[in-house]
Amino acid sequence: MLRLPELEVIIATSLTEALTRLAAGPAARPILGGTDLVANLKTGHTKAQTLVAIGQLPELQGVDASGDVVRIGAAVHQAELARDPDILELFPALAYAVGRIASPQIRNAGTLGGNLCLDTRCRFINQSDLWREALGGCLKSHGKECHVIPGGGGCVAALSADSVPILMVLGAEAEIARVQDGALVTRRTPIADLYDSDGRRHVRIADGELLVAVHVPKLPHGARAVYRKWAVRQSIDFPLVSVAVRLDLDDAGKLKQGKVAIGVLGPRPRLLALDRWAGRTLDEDLAKQVAQYVFDRSHPLPNVLYDHEYRRERLRVEVLRALRTWYAPAAVGGAGR
Amino acid sequence: MTRPLSDNPTARDLHRITVDHSPVDETPVVGSRHGRVDALDLLTGVGKYADDLVLPRMLHCKILRSPHAHARILHIDTSAAESMQGVHAVITGADLPVRYGVIPWTQDEYPLALDKVRYVGDAVAAVAASSEDVARAALARIAVNYEVLPALADPREALARSDVKIHEDNKHGNISKQVTLAFGDVDAALAQAELVIEGDYLFHGSTHGAIEPHCAIGHVDGHGLLTVWSATQVPHYLHRELGRVLDRPSHSIRVIQPPVGGAFGGKSEPFDLEFCVAKLAELTGRPVKCLYTREEVFLAHRGRHPFQMHYKTGFDRDGHILAVDGKSLLDGGAYSSFGLVTTYYSGQLLGSPYTFPAFRFDSTRVYTNKPCCGPKRGHGSVQPRFAIEVQLDKAAVALGLDPIELRRRNFIGENTQTIGGFHVGSSGFLQCLDEVERASGWRQRRGKLPKGRGLGIAGSTYISGTNYCIYPTELPQSAVQICLDRSGRVRVFVGTSEIGQGSNTVVATLAADELGVELEDMRVLAADSDLTPVDLGAYSSRGTLMAGNACLAATRELAAKLREVIASTWDCPAGDVGLAHRKAYRLSDPSVWMPIQEAFILAESKLGTLGAVGSYKTPTANVHGDYRGGTIGASPAYSFTAHVAEVEVDEETGDVTVLQIWCAHDCGLALSPTLVEGQIEGSTYMGAAEALMEHHRVLPSGLRTDGQKRDTGPGVEGLLAASSLLDYRMPTSMDVPELTALIVERPDPRGPRGAKEAGEGPLHSSIPAIANAVYDAVGVRIDDLPIAPEKILAALKRKASPSGEVR
Amino acid sequence: MTAAENRSAARAAQLLHFQLNGEAVAVAAPPHWTLLEVLRYQLNLTGTKQGCDKGDCGACTVRLDGAPVLSCMTLAALVQGRAVETVEGLGVGGEPHPLQRAFAELGAAQCGFCTPGMLMSAAAYLDDLATREAPAVDTGEISAVLGGNLCRCTGYTKIVQAVAVAAGEVIERTQLLAEMSNDDGGMP
Repeated sequence: MLRLPELEVIIATSLTEALTRLAAGPAARPILGGTDLVANLKTGHTKAQTLVAIGQLPELQGVDASGDVVRIGAAVHQAELARDPDILELFPALAYAVGRIASPQIRNAGTLGGNLCLDTRCRFINQSDLWREALGGCLKSHGKECHVIPGGGGCVAALSADSVPILMVLGAEAEIARVQDGALVTRRTPIADLYDSDGRRHVRIADGELLVAVHVPKLPHGARAVYRKWAVRQSIDFPLVSVAVRLDLDDAGKLKQGKVAIGVLGPRPRLLALDRWAGRTLDEDLAKQVAQYVFDRSHPLPNVLYDHEYRRERLRVEVLRALRTWYAPAAVGGAGR
Repeated sequence: MTRPLSDNPTARDLHRITVDHSPVDETPVVGSRHGRVDALDLLTGVGKYADDLVLPRMLHCKILRSPHAHARILHIDTSAAESMQGVHAVITGADLPVRYGVIPWTQDEYPLALDKVRYVGDAVAAVAASSEDVARAALARIAVNYEVLPALADPREALARSDVKIHEDNKHGNISKQVTLAFGDVDAALAQAELVIEGDYLFHGSTHGAIEPHCAIGHVDGHGLLTVWSATQVPHYLHRELGRVLDRPSHSIRVIQPPVGGAFGGKSEPFDLEFCVAKLAELTGRPVKCLYTREEVFLAHRGRHPFQMHYKTGFDRDGHILAVDGKSLLDGGAYSSFGLVTTYYSGQLLGSPYTFPAFRFDSTRVYTNKPCCGPKRGHGSVQPRFAIEVQLDKAAVALGLDPIELRRRNFIGENTQTIGGFHVGSSGFLQCLDEVERASGWRQRRGKLPKGRGLGIAGSTYISGTNYCIYPTELPQSAVQICLDRSGRVRVFVGTSEIGQGSNTVVATLAADELGVELEDMRVLAADSDLTPVDLGAYSSRGTLMAGNACLAATRELAAKLREVIASTWDCPAGDVGLAHRKAYRLSDPSVWMPIQEAFILAESKLGTLGAVGSYKTPTANVHGDYRGGTIGASPAYSFTAHVAEVEVDEETGDVTVLQIWCAHDCGLALSPTLVEGQIEGSTYMGAAEALMEHHRVLPSGLRTDGQKRDTGPGVEGLLAASSLLDYRMPTSMDVPELTALIVERPDPRGPRGAKEAGEGPLHSSIPAIANAVYDAVGVRIDDLPIAPEKILAALKRKASPSGEVR
Repeated sequence: MTAAENRSAARAAQLLHFQLNGEAVAVAAPPHWTLLEVLRYQLNLTGTKQGCDKGDCGACTVRLDGAPVLSCMTLAALVQGRAVETVEGLGVGGEPHPLQRAFAELGAAQCGFCTPGMLMSAAAYLDDLATREAPAVDTGEISAVLGGNLCRCTGYTKIVQAVAVAAGEVIERTQLLAEMSNDDGGMP
């Protein structure tokens, strides 16, 4: 069987302690549910000497919906979030998205913070040591060549986190803590800016920093978001197409503003504004234009294990179906909110 | 009621006649509703699978595997690994330089590669160490010098290239096996046909996906007896090959097969780990365990061969088949495995349930530098069955016939011969068609379903074991030994391999009825070469028929003894003694009876310890063809199946959702209906999975038809695209259709109480039924499996364009 | 101490205390061991199975503080002080759990290898069902609950049936208990 490499586990008792340990560099990694990290450590493309367990830290707990902005602790389990009454009421699409992550067991252990920091995925990296050795490595492992884009200079492994696109269109922010001059400080960064285009290190959280919570502003009147995921199987799978759509409509039902966030492209999700259609009423014709607009600007790559041309075509349909939930909800096939 | 027996009753105590007016329950155990007799052991976590066994001082083995698809081994340096603390032994090919292979004529594997590696994952060296961690660390310190050779991943390229040979001593380039057989004048029949359906069919490879990874433990005891516990479905073949490779007399080897966590053909031949643990146990004097990683299971493979098929079928205007002409290219991977048989089966198993007045097949299996293909559930015939059943559907459309009616018209009948000379005994094929037609509401619903929905039909047949063993022998194929016990228990020692299919339950069910006990009174001890007689293993759906017959032979002998003893006590003819449900009773007057335990004690006190053996030899006269290869695939009895699938196709996304599948399967007689349903459901699901999503894909290319694009991948040949249970997508509980199992019983005189197989047949027609339903739903044919959404969209696009193909 | 010695000391086996099937256990485990490895290879509770190495199949499912999780992905070090339930803890007093009985009778276990994991996912669902106000058997929900447990033998049909049967029993018992307590409440 595949076993973990030898490592050290430290159960952090305070945020400051955790941050201090993590400041040691990439050899120390934070662990929450471990559902991604443990697999990557076992298959050997992630290395760590020390795991700093942060699941018990109070700053990372709970859903607080008392203000205008809902704070969700990074350690809140995906399963909890998917059935949280406040989340179900305020952001049903977020509850749906985290409820579609992997499998029930993984959602019971996996956390929102863990999903946001999910490592990028690629069919040339999520393999065994033997496999990568046979390949000669790639930019994300020990090699010098990208096999997704031959000759490409950067790693284009895919961001595959179900929660990211929906949090982007909801305008959520990440709360990131670090210790500076002995004091605990936090910074906020929009989820939309949290990701970089380098698949080797796509989350813009430095060594010695920690994602502690996510802040999601409550939606104004007339706004709603939808998440759509496509994977071959109804359970277990990472998304092969992942798209969130948010529309803000005025009382007359005309578009004020809209956003589409697309995952599973490269390391960085894409956020598109639909402002050019402001003032228009959504119908099938407009929806098709929007879907085409998204299609034209999105280029799924042969990084994850499915035909990328189909994934692009599928993306168009999923955008269309997301939009149909506004004007023809009964016609929407498959799941989706 | 009778008074309770003392713990140690004397014979005199028992010379009583019990009078009771309660009627005897004559409902047979056979056919009753019950689960696996040993289910609770497994459900409570008590049952011990191979990796659950731990022996004192046990070492752990890991195997070093080749990172090259094709390379010559120049030098191996194991010294650094050997010098590590905790490393007890390191072996390489030189330690086991004997070729093996499950088919004696095509042995082309070494336990550890001797001179060459032939696929990424080929075993090169093995380490026994104090822990898996140390063993793994030691592998990293074995230095292997390779001379990398050109690798061949595409079977068509392997066929064309004469400069690169995967097996140097192979006679015909990279051809592993070529079979051409022709019966009747195919060309003339096709020339006269009213309608000829011709087409290419692609069936990409798939793998077994048993949840338990392969695991083996070797141990040599103080007497020099080598014991190997292995998650195998062929302990007997393992026993033989261990003897050959380790150069040990077979009496000094004991093979024990613990409960197996699924196999489906994936554990039906010896594997490197079994030889390695045995050799390392010999060298270290300590028990050695090896447990495959999931990736190693994918590399060991032996899964369904990718087939590229070209089929031509001629029909008269009434839909009668006139001739079938099939040409197949089989991608064999690096070694032979069962490939010789696969190549024959690709044609030989097509001879029923339809009459082929003329038939020709030409199948070529090619070596490639990829994980080796072999037998997966429905070995050899699932792929061509797909082609045939789709062709029948196309013919029905072209001729304006109901596809079920077309199949009925071509039914070969019972007690007849296929064109290849196989004797077909009982056949419930027509009843299978009737059942799925009725249950699916075919007549009322077909053609009237909402847009995007469709129904499809397909039929098939399979063997209940084969008449000839893999190696030439006159010995029985299966045997059992049965003992009765003064506790009222019946012990059955049987060589069969319980792999979840319920073989222990099958023998228990048959024996319980013959001996008048309940299933709970049965103790079945299976697959331990020291304790149980030989059975060839759990493959080719042979268990029920062969072990069942052997069991009946033994139990009937014992039951006759019992009856005689009881009859003499009751002073009645032996033929008047009935045995059922823990009672011996007079058939003519059931009020006269005694508990079966008393009957056992009575008989034991008169005759001594009660035991009997029984064995089964397959028929060999007039059951197969009289030509080279004419015996391969001939079976004592054949099962028959029909499937109707109902699908919904989303024309916007190309998604195919299988809503329901009805499967009717003629298993002769359902000894354990619940288990038969389980086999039908499991087979049907597995077929549906192959139809829709499963693909054991190798980068950069597998089979493809002319004009298809090359599978994208890196410039490295022979890498598995999916080598985990995440990437190799097997359906979850949320992805399966509703499955309706319909049991059809057409007893066969050669089956035990008429029973035939149920474990593999019901997979075949699941796949073409879905393909045919897709056509019914949206009018496109996907002849290139799996039926993935992008193929549906492309086909719909072709159909819509004015220049698109019309079929 | 050198840095290497320091590290090696830190990586030495640590004593873990947790509840296992209702009993307190203490076991020394190296920090890189998973819960699955500790259960199977240190505590000899081999009922929990290993199928895929890394969280893809669900065979290793156990309950951690009641919730089904994958023990192959759970660091043993992180179950300190928590409650673990395995298939060996199902059933009371030697009597099989209603799920085990239903699985056995209905043929829901063929090879039986995925079954312990299935049972743990299903047991959590049954416990959840018992806490609901108006529990009902819903096979769609059962399929979703089992969505992380791959079975290769059954096609899931009989597994879903068996869970539905056991769920029916739970609902009946819960309702019976509720009626009884209502009766009590009505008493003076």
